[in-house]
Amino acid sequence: MNQPLNKISRILIMIASLALCSAYVTPLWQILMWAPQYPEGLEMKIWINTLTGNIKIISALNHYIGMAHIEVSMFPEFKYMIYIVGVIILIGLFSTLINRRWSLLVFFFSLGAAGLAALVDFYLWGYKYGHNLNPDAPIKVPGMVYQPPLIGTKQLLNFTAFSGPDIGGWVFIVVAVMVFTLLVLEQFYFKKNDPQ
Amino acid sequence: MNTNKFISLGVLAVAASLTMIGCKPKGPQTVTTGGAAEKVYVAPGKYDEFYDIVSGGFNGQMSVYGLPSGRLFRIIPVFSLFPENGYGFSEETKPMLNTSHGFVPWDDLHHIALSQTKGEHDGRWAFGNANNTPRIGRVDMKTFRTMEIIELPNSGGNHSSPFITENSEYVVAGTRFSVPVGENRDVPVSSYKKNFRGTLSFVSVDPANGGMKIAFQLATPPVDFDLSRAGKGPSHGWFFFSCYNTEQAYTLLEVNASQRDKDFILAVNWKKAEEYLKAGKAKKITNVKYAHNYLDEKTHTATSEMLNEVMELDIAQLKDIAYFIPCPKSPHGCDTDPSGEYIVASGKLAALIPVFSFKKIQDAIANKDFDGEFGGVPIIKYESALKGEVQKPGLGPLHTEFDGRGNAYTSMFVSSEIVKWDLNTLQVLDRVPTYYSVGHLSVPGGPTAKPYGKYVIAYNKITKDRYLPTGPELTQSAQIYSIDGDKMQLLLDFPTTGEPHYAEAIAAEKVAPNSTKIYKIEDNNHPYVARGEKQTKVERKGNRVDVYMTAIRSHLTPDNIEGVKLGDEVYFHVTNLEQDWDIPHGFAVKGAANAEILIMPGETQTLKWKPTEVGVVPFYCTDFCSALHQEMQGYVRVSPPNSNVPLKFSTGKIEPSGEK
Amino acid sequence: MKKTSLIVVAAATIIFACSPGKPQVAQEDTSIPQAETVPAPAANQQDPRKGLGEVKHVTLKTPLEQDRVRRGEEIYEMKCGACHKLTDERLVGPGWKGVTQRRHPEWIMNMVTNVDVMLDQDAEAQKLLELCLTRMPNQNVSIGDARDVLEFMRSNDGQK
Repeated sequence: MNQPLNKISRILIMIASLALCSAYVTPLWQILMWAPQYPEGLEMKIWINTLTGNIKIISALNHYIGMAHIEVSMFPEFKYMIYIVGVIILIGLFSTLINRRWSLLVFFFSLGAAGLAALVDFYLWGYKYGHNLNPDAPIKVPGMVYQPPLIGTKQLLNFTAFSGPDIGGWVFIVVAVMVFTLLVLEQFYFKKNDPQ
Repeated sequence: MNTNKFISLGVLAVAASLTMIGCKPKGPQTVTTGGAAEKVYVAPGKYDEFYDIVSGGFNGQMSVYGLPSGRLFRIIPVFSLFPENGYGFSEETKPMLNTSHGFVPWDDLHHIALSQTKGEHDGRWAFGNANNTPRIGRVDMKTFRTMEIIELPNSGGNHSSPFITENSEYVVAGTRFSVPVGENRDVPVSSYKKNFRGTLSFVSVDPANGGMKIAFQLATPPVDFDLSRAGKGPSHGWFFFSCYNTEQAYTLLEVNASQRDKDFILAVNWKKAEEYLKAGKAKKITNVKYAHNYLDEKTHTATSEMLNEVMELDIAQLKDIAYFIPCPKSPHGCDTDPSGEYIVASGKLAALIPVFSFKKIQDAIANKDFDGEFGGVPIIKYESALKGEVQKPGLGPLHTEFDGRGNAYTSMFVSSEIVKWDLNTLQVLDRVPTYYSVGHLSVPGGPTAKPYGKYVIAYNKITKDRYLPTGPELTQSAQIYSIDGDKMQLLLDFPTTGEPHYAEAIAAEKVAPNSTKIYKIEDNNHPYVARGEKQTKVERKGNRVDVYMTAIRSHLTPDNIEGVKLGDEVYFHVTNLEQDWDIPHGFAVKGAANAEILIMPGETQTLKWKPTEVGVVPFYCTDFCSALHQEMQGYVRVSPPNSNVPLKFSTGKIEPSGEK
Repeated sequence: MKKTSLIVVAAATIIFACSPGKPQVAQEDTSIPQAETVPAPAANQQDPRKGLGEVKHVTLKTPLEQDRVRRGEEIYEMKCGACHKLTDERLVGPGWKGVTQRRHPEWIMNMVTNVDVMLDQDAEAQKLLELCLTRMPNQNVSIGDARDVLEFMRSNDGQK
C-alpha cells in the first residue's frame, strides 16, 4: 500500500482529477418526462449549484396533483456541493503528489462515497417530493405517489419519467471507473513489473 | 481484497453504466395508419356523408364541415360579427345581437344541439349557446342562418346548454355561475351560499317554426352547472345536469371547488315541472329584462323585443322534481346512452367513470333511498343509483359518446386519449391517443337514439406540432377516428375555425335536399325593397337618405347618385334581383365604418354609411358575380352641408352637358 | 315522311344524349292553369324553332288576355326590366320590341324557363349569347308566369 505509483498512473490520475472540473460547467443529472401532449418531452437538469430546463412547466403541471413547486432553494446541497467536488479534485491532485498507492485508494473511496451520498440524497429528495402532497390538490388519485425514479424510467400517471446521469455525471462515473482500473493495475500488474 | 471479486465488481459497474444509456426511452411514437386516406377521401365533385356542425368557441360562430373529408363549407355567425356577409353590420341583422346590456357582438359558443323528432335528428335547426352573455341561438338548417336568439335572465354564463329533448320540446340552459337573484343583487360575493342561486331554464321550441320561449326556470341551490343531456326512450321526461363546485366556493375554485370526493348529477323530472307550472305553482318573476331577437324571412329583417317576465319553480320547495346523485370529482360530461337507460358521468378529476341506471334511480326515488339533502334537495344514495364503475379508464375523463352497438367512447383530457368501453360489462376494450388533450367527442348522430357508429371525432385543445407553425397562435384541431372495427383507427386531422368544443354531425340526406337556393323576389316584403329597377329611387327625409338600389349581373341601379350632403346618414337598401342559385351580389362603399353586405338572390340588405368628406365616392359589388363583375360599380357625389345640389339618381344615363 | 320521322328520331336521340346530368325540371308554381302547355320529356321535342324545354305547344288567343298582360308586366318590372328594354334597343340583353314576330312563342317561354339548357344547346340562344356576352340568368320564372310575360310581350308588340 505504501508503494509509489506508476508514472502513467500519476499522469492519468492528474487528468482524471482535472476532468472533474467539468462538473462546474456541465449538468450532472437529468430528469426527462414525456406525456401524450408533450411528445417533445420536458427536462430538468441538475447542475452543481442550480437547476435548469422546463422547471416552471413541470411545476405548473405537478401542482394539479399537489406536488410542491420545484425551486433551487429546495436543494440546500447546492450551497456546499461546489466545495465537496473541489475537495475531491484536490484529493485527486494530492494523491499524485503523495505518490502512494494508499493515496489513490483514498481518492477512489472519496469518489465512491460522494457518488453514493449523492444518490441517497437524491432518493430522499425524490421521496419527499413525490409523497409530500398538498391535501387540497384538485386531482387526488387514491394510493398514488409520484416519486421520480432514482435511475431509469417509471410511469407516473400520463407521464413517462426518466432519471439518469448527464454529462457531468458521466464524467464522474468515467473517472471513478478509471481510478478503479488504475487501482487494480497498481495492485496486480505494475507491482510485478516495477523495478523498485 | 480478493482480486477476482474486485475485478468483477468493476466490470459490473461498467456494465451497469452502459445499461443506463440504453434504458433512456424515446418519446411516444406517432401512430401511422394504413388505408386511412381512402376512408376519408371524397373525390372532387362528390358529397360528404355527414354535415358536421362544429362550435366555434370564442369565435362565437358555428362551422359546417363535411365528414369524413373534414372540408370546411361554411361559417355561420351566431353571436359574432361577420364581415364576410355583413351579419351584425347590416341594419337588418344588428337587432340579432341586442341584449339587455345593449349590442353585444361577441360570445363564446360552446355546444351544438340539433333538433330531434322521436329521438332522431330531423335536420331542421341547430342550437348554440352563448357562454358569456347568456343566450341561445337557433340556426335554420335550410338557410344555415341564425334566425333567432333568446337571452337568459337570472343566469351567469350559459355553459350547460343548449341540450335538447328527444322531440325538441325544450332546449335547456343551465347557468355555469350561480348569481344573486331577486330584488337585491348588490350583495357581498362572500354571501354566495345565502344570496346566490343557480337556474336551469327550459326554453320551449315551437314545433312549427322553431320559435323559442322561456317556458320556466328552475331555481336551484348555488353550484356550477357544467353539461347536461336529456333522457330518451324510458327516461324521456327527465334531464340530467352535471354540477361541480358543490363546495360552494366563490374564490380560487381551482383548489376550493375540488375538495369534495363527490359532486352531483342533478336529475330533473321536467314533465313533473310542467305539471306544477300548469297547476299554478310557479312564481312569476318580473324584475328581469331579457332580449328576444328573431329574423323574419319575408322582410329579411330582424326584430329585437325586450321581455320582462319569467316563470320560476324552486326545486328546493317542490321536493319531487329534482334529485341530486353523488358523482365523483367535478363531473363534466353527463351523457345518456342511446337506449336512455344509462347515464355516464365523467368526473374530470376522477380515476373512474360511474355509470348510473335510470331504472335504479327511479327505484331509489320510489323507496326514498336518500342520503340527506343538499340545499333542500334530496340526495339519492350513490350506490342506489349506480349501475357500476368503469375502473382505470384513463386520466381526466370528460365526455362520452356512443356507437349504438353497446360501446361507449370517453375522452380523456389528461392522458390525451379516447377510451372505448363496453356499456354492459364496463370493461375497457381499446384506447387510442389523441393529438393532443381531447375535449369533447362526437359520433355522427350524436346524442340521438340512433348514432351512426362509423366515426368518432375528437375535438382537441392542443395541436402543437401537428401543423406547420403559425407563430404563437396555432390552429385548433379535430381528428377523425374510424370506429366500425374492433380497434379505433386514426384517419385524419383537420384544423378548425375558432375553438371547437362540442359538435354534432347529421346525415347529409336529412339536410341537403331541403337547402334553400334562393329567396323568391315576389315574397320579399322588406320595407325598402325594390322589386325591379323601376322601383329604385333615392329619398331624403331630413338628413336621412334612403337609396332603394337593385343589383343584377352586372350593374347596380342607381349607379350615379348626387345630392348627398356631409352630415347625411345614407342607407343603401340593396335588393338582389337575381333568382338563380349561387348568384349573390355584394355591396361596399368607400369609407363605410361597418362592413360590406352580401345579398342573396331575392334578398334585400341595408348598409348604413355616413360620408366623412366632400367628393365623389365609389361603391361596387364585392362578390365576383360574372364576367363583368369589375364593371359593377358606381359613384355617389357628396356635397357640403349647405350645398343646393339637387337629389338625383340614374343608371345608364349619359349627360352630354357634363362633358363641357 | 318516313325520312322526316327518322330525322326526328335521330334528333331526339341526340338531344337526349346531350341533356345534362341534372336536368332543370324544378318548376314549383303549378297553381296557375297551364291548359295550353303540354309538358313532356325533352326527347320528344319536335321543332327546333320551338327551343328546348317543357313548353311544347302554346295556344295564343285573340284578343289578348288582359289579366295576363298585367301580371306579365309586373313580372317584367321585377325580373326582366333590369336587362331588357321594351324598345328594340339592346341593354344587357336584346330589346323586346318585335320579339314575338322574331321567335316562336314556345321558344320564348323555353328561353325564359329553361335558360341554362337553351344557352348550352339551342343554336339561336347561343347566337344571342355571342352577341350580348352575358349569360341570361335563370330568374326562376314558372311556366305560368312565362306565359304571362309572353302575353305582355305580345301587347308590347302592338297586338290587341
